[in-house]
Formats: sequence, C-alpha cells, structure tokens
Amino acid sequence: MVWHIAKKEIYHNLTTLRFSLMIILLPVLFLANALIYSLGGDGYTTQINTYNRHVEQNRDYIKEQAGKGLAELALIGPGEILRRPTRLTFCADGTDTLIPRSVKMQNTGTASRSGYEEFEDFAWRAPWTLEYPLQNTSGPGMSQIKIDWVFIGILMSFFAILFTFDAIAGERASGTLSLIMSNTVSRGQVLLGKYIGAFLTLMVPLLIGILMNLLVILISGNIPFELENWLCILGMVGLFALHISIFIFLGLFFSSRVSNPITSLVWLLLTWVCLAFVFPSLLGTFVGNINPIPSVDEVSMQREAQLKQLGNEYHPFGRSGDIPTKLSKAASAENPEATRLWATYLTKEMETKTRFNDGHIDQQFRQVQLARDLTQISPIATFQYAMEGLANTGITSYMNFVKQARRYRQTYVDFVKTEDQSDPESLHIYPVKEGLSQKTVNPDTVPVFTEYISYRSVLSQVGLLVLFNLLFLIMAQVSFLKSDIK
Amino acid sequence: MSTLWLIIQREFVSNILTSRFMIGIIVCLLSIAVAVFVQVDDYEKRLTGYNTAVREAKAEAEAWELYSKIKPKAHRKPSPLSIFNVGTENSGANTVTVELGKPIFEFNFPIWAAPTQKRGSDNPFLAMFLTVDVVFIFKFVLSALAILFAYNTISGEREDGTLKLVLSNAIPRDTIVFGKYLGGMLSLFPIVLMSLIVALLIAFSSPVIAFDGNDILHIVAMFGVSLLYVSTWYLLGLVLSVWTKQAATTLILSMFIWVILTSVHSNVVAFAVEKFPPHPVKSEMTLIQPAADVWEQFKKERDAYRRQRGYEDLQKSIIWEPGASSRGVGHGSWSGGYFFTESYSVTNVGQADTSIFQEILDYQEQLRVEYTDKAEEILKEPAEAREKNSKFADALSRISFADTYHFAVGAIAGTDRQHYNDFIKSSRDYKRQIVEYLKDKKAFSSRAWFSNDKGNAALTDLPAFQHRRLSLSESLSRASMDILILLAWNIVLFMAAYVSFLRYDLS
Repeated sequence: MVWHIAKKEIYHNLTTLRFSLMIILLPVLFLANALIYSLGGDGYTTQINTYNRHVEQNRDYIKEQAGKGLAELALIGPGEILRRPTRLTFCADGTDTLIPRSVKMQNTGTASRSGYEEFEDFAWRAPWTLEYPLQNTSGPGMSQIKIDWVFIGILMSFFAILFTFDAIAGERASGTLSLIMSNTVSRGQVLLGKYIGAFLTLMVPLLIGILMNLLVILISGNIPFELENWLCILGMVGLFALHISIFIFLGLFFSSRVSNPITSLVWLLLTWVCLAFVFPSLLGTFVGNINPIPSVDEVSMQREAQLKQLGNEYHPFGRSGDIPTKLSKAASAENPEATRLWATYLTKEMETKTRFNDGHIDQQFRQVQLARDLTQISPIATFQYAMEGLANTGITSYMNFVKQARRYRQTYVDFVKTEDQSDPESLHIYPVKEGLSQKTVNPDTVPVFTEYISYRSVLSQVGLLVLFNLLFLIMAQVSFLKSDIK
Repeated sequence: MSTLWLIIQREFVSNILTSRFMIGIIVCLLSIAVAVFVQVDDYEKRLTGYNTAVREAKAEAEAWELYSKIKPKAHRKPSPLSIFNVGTENSGANTVTVELGKPIFEFNFPIWAAPTQKRGSDNPFLAMFLTVDVVFIFKFVLSALAILFAYNTISGEREDGTLKLVLSNAIPRDTIVFGKYLGGMLSLFPIVLMSLIVALLIAFSSPVIAFDGNDILHIVAMFGVSLLYVSTWYLLGLVLSVWTKQAATTLILSMFIWVILTSVHSNVVAFAVEKFPPHPVKSEMTLIQPAADVWEQFKKERDAYRRQRGYEDLQKSIIWEPGASSRGVGHGSWSGGYFFTESYSVTNVGQADTSIFQEILDYQEQLRVEYTDKAEEILKEPAEAREKNSKFADALSRISFADTYHFAVGAIAGTDRQHYNDFIKSSRDYKRQIVEYLKDKKAFSSRAWFSNDKGNAALTDLPAFQHRRLSLSESLSRASMDILILLAWNIVLFMAAYVSFLRYDLS
C-alpha cells in the first residue's frame, strides 16, 4: 500500500510544472559546475602543479640547509609548508579564496651589530617561528557564492518544498484525502508513501545530474580521482539524501497543518528564505559583536611593543655610551656563559612571537567556530559544513592543517634536539647557532611534513542532520495524526 | 475613479488581513533591526580606525624634516550610508601611502612594503559569511514578499470565481489591473517604510552616526529605488498571475524565477567570469621583473646624466670649505624590486657648497617620479584587468533586475566598486598634486631635500588628501542606467500585464 501511494505520488509529480523546471535547472547547474571547475583558471591541475613544484623546492632547500650543518637547519626552519590542494573543491568550495594555502616555518632574516666599544661584534639569526600568512585575495568584486554542489543542494531543498507543500493540503482541498483514508491504511503509511514519492522524485534527477557532472569532469581529465575521493562523493550523496529528506519532512509538516496548500507554501517559502539566507548570514555577522576579539592591527602593535620591551631589557643590538648589558659578549663555542644568555634572550623572543601568533589565530578560529556552531541551527548550514568536511575544504580543513603544522613544529624541534645530543662537541644550547652541533645532517632523516585528512568533524554534522530528520519526522507525523481529514 | 479606489481598497484590505502580511512585517523588521545593529557597530569600528589612522598620520607628518622623507597618506573615509549597503567598504585597501619613488597599485599577492594597505580587520575568516545589510534583506525578503502578495491577484480570483463577478460590473479591465497594482503596492509600502524607519531609528541611536542633509537625500533616493524594485517584483507576479490558470502554478513559477534572479544568475555569471576571464589577468609575480627593469633603465639614464655633467662621483659635485675635516656623501638605497628609492646625506654639510649637487638631485629625483609612473603603468595592469572582468560580469548580471537594484543602491550609497576605484585613482591624483606642490616649491633642487642644517623643509601648506563626497545629482547620474533599467522593466511588465489581461479568457 505504501508503495502504491508512493508510485501515485511520483506519477503525479512527473507531470507537474515544478518537475520540468527542476529537470531544466539541475543539468544546467551541474554542467556549469563541471565545466567551470575542470576547465576554469586556477583549477586543480594548476594547484597540484604548484604544490608539487613547491614540495620539490622545499626538499632541495632542506638538503641545502642540512649540508650547512645542524645549527643552520635548526634556526632557519623547515620552510614554507603548503596545504595539499583538494580535488573536491567542485563539491564544496568552502570560500577557498579566503583560506590561506600555507603556513610559514622559516626565518631567512639575519641580524648583526658592530662598531660598539662595549659590545662585541656579533651576527646572529633569530630562530624560526610558525607564522600564519593571510590570503589576500578578497578584493572588491569577488563573488562569495560559488556554483558548487552545496549551492545545488540548497536549491534542492527549495525543490523539496515545492514538491511537498500540497502533498497533504492539496489532497485535503480536492477531497481525495478522505478517500485514501477510507482504505485500510494507517496515517503513518500515507505519510511514508508521500515521503518516499517525493524523495524518489528529487533523488533520481539529482543522481542523474551528479553522474553527468562526474562524467564531464572525468572526460576533461583535469581532476583525477582516487578511491578515497569516490568514497567521499558517495558520502556526499548520502548527505544530499539527508538534507533533502529534512525539507521533505518540513514540507509534509506544514502541509498537514494547514487546510490550504497555498498557505502552506507561503509559510514554507518564508521559512526557507530565513534558513537559507537570513539566519546563517545574520548569525555569522553577529558573532563579531557577541564575542569581539582584538583586530589584526592591535595584536601586531601589542606584539611589537612586547618585542621592543624585550629588546630594551637585553639590548642585543648594543647601545652607545652606556654600561654594557647582559648580551655584551658574543655567543661562541668557547663562551658557554654568553651563549646561554643569548639562548635565554632568543627563546624569550621566540616565545613572545609564538604566543602572539598562535594566540591570535586561535582567537580567530574560536570566533569562526562559534559562528559555525550558531549557524548550525539551520539545516542548510549544517549540510554545507558537512559537505566541506568531506571535501576537505573550508575553515575546518585549515584548522586541521594548522593543528598538524603545530605538531610538526614540535617534531622538528625534537629532531634537532636529539640530533644535537648525539654530537659530543656541541654545547647543547638551543636556539643559538654557536650552541648547537655544526655537523652536517643526513637530509633524509629530517622529518617531513605530511598532512592527514580528518573526517571526524563530519560525524557531528551527520548526527545533527539525522537529528533534524527525526525531529521533523516526528513533527510531521504528530501533526498529520492530529489533523482533520476535511 | 471611485471604482478604482474601491478596487485598491479591497486589494489593500484583503492583503493586510492575511497571515503573510504579518509574517512579512515581522521577518522584515526583525532581520533589518539585527542587520542595522551589526552594521552600525561595524561602521563605528571603521570610523574609529579611520580617525586613529588620520591622527597617527598627522603626528607622523609633524616629524618630517626633509622633502625627500615625506610619506603623505590617503585614507578611505568610511561612509555612514554603508549601514544600508556595505558594498566594498570592508574589502580592498583603505590606506594608500604616497611615496615619490613608489608606484601605487594593488596586488592580491602579498608584497613587501606594499603602497596600498588594509587596516583594521578583526577576523578575516568571518568574511566567509555573507554580509547582511538593509539592501540584502530588501533584495531577498522584500522581493519574496512582493511575489507572495501578487501571485493570486488574478489567478486566485479566477479560481475562487470572484473574477467573473467583478467583471460583471461595469468596470473596465484596465481599471482592475491598475487597481490591483496600486492596491498591492499600497500594502507593500508600509513594510518598506517601517523597515526604513526601524533602520534609521537604530542608526540614530548610535552616537557616531550623524546624517547631514545630503545623506538624507541619498537615503530618500535609496528608498525610492527600493520601491521601484519591489514594484518590479510585484508586476512580475501580476503578469504571471494573468498568464497562469492556477494560483499554485503562479506561485511556483514566480518563486522559481525569484530563485534564479536573486541567487543563481548573478553567481553563475560572476563565478564563470572569474574562472574564464575575458580579459586575461597577468600573473602578478611575473610583473615584478619588468618593473625592476624599469628601474635598471632609470639607473642607466641617471648615470648617463651624471656622466654628461662630469660628476660620476657625486662627491666631486660638492665643494667643501677648506676647513672641513671629513668630506663625503652618504648614500642609502631601498629597493623592493618594484620600487627604488635613494637618500643622501652630506658630511659636514654646514661647510659645504652643494649647489651643483642640488642641480643633479633636481634632475634625478624628477626623473625618478617619471619612472615611478612608468613602473606604475606596468604594475596596475592586473587590477585593471580584474576590474574589466568585473565590469563584464556586472553587465551580464544586469539581466537580472535584482542585481540591477543592488548596483543602483551601491552607486547611490557610494559603496560600489566604482567608488572604490575612484579612491585609488584620487590617491594617484593626490600624488601628482604632491609632486606639483614640490615642484612649485622647488623642493627637488632645494637643500632641504637632504639636509636640515639651513632649516627644515617648509611643509606647513602641504596639501592633505581630500575626501570627495558625491552630491545627490552625481550619485543619481551614476545610478541612472540601473534606475532606467528598473523603470524599463516596470513599464514592460506593466504593459505585459495590461495587454494580457485585456485579452484574458475568463472561461
């Protein structure tokens, strides 16, 4: 019986105007998406080439530094570290242009002092710190909404509403609802039949569109897929299904509550506009007010002030006409005392920089995280974040990357220290060049940064989507059970 | 006339009694209130940032002693109208440092000591959420409301059977169309008006926002354009209501068109143009080398001049008094590839006759300004190509009147891209002004270029960057094309509704 109702629903849907509108729009968007992402500028091929070239260069760079000795390698750092470009940007772009593509773990600058009477001439290199350069491409005229699968998913939720607004209210208005109910069929079965009918009407064209899209991308040959990507795409299809199903239940809920199908559509459309556009954007912009953080300028000013204070305390650059300070002697292998003092100063400087850099980006991350958590009250936003999670794009992927970069920072420093311990001639004073081993290092033993993709964040969003489904299912069911047939 | 009034009245009453009127008002007012609240706060931050920057620049300017060391700054002043339409207020550069030896240009790629900079941003990552302002809400919510008011005007009455009854009276059909249009607009008008009043109330409650007469005129103009926009949507709904037989079909069709026009069309266009730019954008990194070549050429020409004058060694151009203990010319240069500046200091300058040295500097520094312009020509190319691409995308998006509306309001509020480009352009003009000023003062050939032993450089009347505001007529003329397009849509849609209804088959 359920299947019977579903079949009737599907046949009915196929002949409607909305079905033809959907059938026209979906392929157009999927084709546009495939063509733009596979053939357009700055696509995956360009990005992966840049990435590979960079990895190559970085390997040579490490080899060169390792040849100069451990001390050099320890202070100049492992270089700039790029994120591996993801193949699935066409599924979820995740405001790619705003997300930095790299972090910097390198200090090429040197400092020196000379010509003071009370201070020995000395040239040194401050140890590297982890820096988070910002992407600078949000100039005027950049479109923020990209035509990715997420966008198509949002439109699908719109169509889900169009297909369900009259599912019950329409039958009630035309009087067929009481005829159905006169059969030996429970209300739950009617609802289930309606649900399956709408679900299949939406999912089948969507799947065809997705297949078309993937076919075009495969034929273009610019984005090669691996098994993992296929699994992610499968997962995304599942997300689509969850997302569409939420809006079908929502539609059924409104449809069973009101007597006139038009009223149900009006309510649904307003709800949809709020969920899709108004809520996420308003909450996102509002977070800056409820949880304000210091601006980039303020933080960099504070950082400079602290560094200056440190400089005033130690005077590494010397000062004229005054008594010598702690750092008046140059660090050298013969003078462990002075080297240790330099190490204290440089460590403090490094810690200050790290504290400000890490602290500020953590604040920014927390703010964005809060905004994301708040916007998840809209299932559309939840769907978007889940898609981004599977495609490994968006801010979460960058947060993961930063987390791993920090772990790598520790690995690298530990490597330097253990390597240094094995050299008996070294003073074992980090991070001063003179206090470390000058022996060359085998470049193959230097730890290399490897990025792991974590899909764990998706789990909570999937859970939330399932929860939305259950909630709206219960709402639809209860409201249909309580509703009048006439 | 009284029948027209009757129809208007009936339409108005039947509209405001519906639930959608109440929901519409609540959704609109609530979201406008939150949006304006956020935007006012944002504006306050921008204004504080701007005032601090101006104050710091002033303090910096007081410390200038030499003509060669001046670095005047052009700051982009935040516009109070940005609370209605944020536009480019939060993106792009807002400080341009004018240095004689440095070209003014914009790169997306971060470069060292860039002349154009963006101050004051709390969290660049929050930009991933769409910015919601009054215009955004009008564009999405109000247009949806207009459709919800219009979809059943004709087809709904036909379904109910009341259309026949209405037409059985001695009422011409055009009166009905006209009456329905006016009645619908009359019921939308209070929503727009109330939204605007709420926005203004919240704006006025902030101590930093002070609108002057000019701003009020601009706000009124924006209000007018918003009404025109709402009217376009209402007419579209009306046309579709005439063309379709059932109210449900009208609503589905018009909501579909609404989705296409407000969110699909312009995004597809902008995104496609971004990925397939009609004007190729040169890679920014490849332009640094040609710019550096310009400076190599500069060095050649400068050296040729010195050779020709017979002073390859600058020290020879200065005649020290016999008693001077040490003689020499200190020279420092600063180059970032795309720029090349030099500074000089003369030892024992009090005992030196530097008239020939000054002549050489006069020629050399003016030459540097010319070469800066040459380098600028090369370096501004990517930004110009990007602008051309964006213009192209804009032209294509204008097909959708939702975007036409957005452009019109942006032009009136003074927060559109053109306004931003004007800022960059006027900072270049400002630089030219500075150069003229220095030429008038004969600063390039003066001793205060490199030394303040005979008094500091006279910079008291150094021109400051003038922030130019547009008058209403200028803003309107900028928005005129978009307003005309909206008007044309209105007329076309009204004619379509009118003609179709005249030919309407009642059965």
